[in-house]
Amino acid sequence: MAWKHITVSRRMLFVWFMLAGFIILLSPQNLTNKFQFAFTRIFRWPLSIGRNISLSAATRKPLKDKDMVSRNEHERLLNHVANITQQRDVLYEENVKLTKIRNKPAWERAGFVPADVITVSVDNLHGKLIINRGKEDGLEKNLFVLADNSIIGTISDVDTHRARIRLFTDPASDTAVRIGDANWIMKGCGNNQAKVKMLKEKVKIGTKIMASKRPGFLGTPMIIGKVVRCEHNDQPLLWDITVEPVCNIKESDSIHIIVMNPSE
Amino acid sequence: MHWLRFAVLVLLATVLQASFFADLNSKPDLLLILLVFFAVHCDTSDAIICSFVIGFAADLIGPTMGPQMISYGIFGSALAYLHRVIAIKQIPYQIIAIFITGLLAGSVACLLNFLKGEPSPPKIIAPLFGIALYSSIVGPFLFLPSAWWMHIRKPGRFGRR
Repeated sequence: MAWKHITVSRRMLFVWFMLAGFIILLSPQNLTNKFQFAFTRIFRWPLSIGRNISLSAATRKPLKDKDMVSRNEHERLLNHVANITQQRDVLYEENVKLTKIRNKPAWERAGFVPADVITVSVDNLHGKLIINRGKEDGLEKNLFVLADNSIIGTISDVDTHRARIRLFTDPASDTAVRIGDANWIMKGCGNNQAKVKMLKEKVKIGTKIMASKRPGFLGTPMIIGKVVRCEHNDQPLLWDITVEPVCNIKESDSIHIIVMNPSE
Repeated sequence: MHWLRFAVLVLLATVLQASFFADLNSKPDLLLILLVFFAVHCDTSDAIICSFVIGFAADLIGPTMGPQMISYGIFGSALAYLHRVIAIKQIPYQIIAIFITGLLAGSVACLLNFLKGEPSPPKIIAPLFGIALYSSIVGPFLFLPSAWWMHIRKPGRFGRR
């Protein structure tokens, strides 16, 4: 059989590819995500190697004194203390209000799904992780994600065996947080930072910020970040604060996803 | 054009960009460098195909699918046509080509991302400028190994179809 040589003009080639691009652009996100998850699934091994090399490039000094703990471990324990303190306060308030009603503590109803990080992308433009757990492990959109006992973000897309986590520092992220006695919306601004705007009172640098509880997703407030900057808003008497994570997300190898009321 | 070699090179750059360079604040964009490389070293028809394929690869590791395929396609094709008029042979020209292509393609990709409903960071100019600058510094040094891998000889001035 003789092959007929097909010639396509450059203009037509360009128009076809542009058309393909716009079809992909306008396709639903859950459909196009399958391409991205497929890429991560196929190239999981080289992606992990690249990440491990990147991690090992960050030198860590060995601890000589056996009574000392590493900075990461210290921060993890501090986060744990902050969470326990917050849980104690919430339980105390609940106990005072509802002494006559039997109530199961929030964490007894929660399940934690451990996951390994495949790729991390934390820079000025994005903040996202891809992990090796998906729908088959009981994950769904908007579940909260923990690293070193602190909230780092929520699940934004889920595939059968993969999920993408949008960090709270991602520009597309909005997270409800508790400052004082009021709830505020914290918006990610990239570069591993998030902002809470138009606060009525000045907040001390170093103050721990808690993610507000959200029925069905987070049973009790948990630590999410700490204040690194507090500056005047454009309007007088109002303040903007900048929040950073309380753990090193880039170096987190394993994380946990909070699944409230998991099916056994 | 050796398409198998092209596929291997693009996949390698995509994997490196998504793993090794993913968590750096200031980083070169390997796919942007390849975009300019193929626009400068290939036949115009091949350059158009390469630009869209590299854009598709950039979308695979980006926030959404589509924006970079379109922006890389447009500016890669434009650069290939421009190269027919002005030969981008010398290193200073290559640096300028990578820098300007990075800024323009990045801006259009951000605009398309925004139109798709993906919020963009408040200060977009600085990161775009950083990526374009780093890529333009690193880019010309990666042209030589890329040309060796693709079995491409140095292009002659106006010596393309």
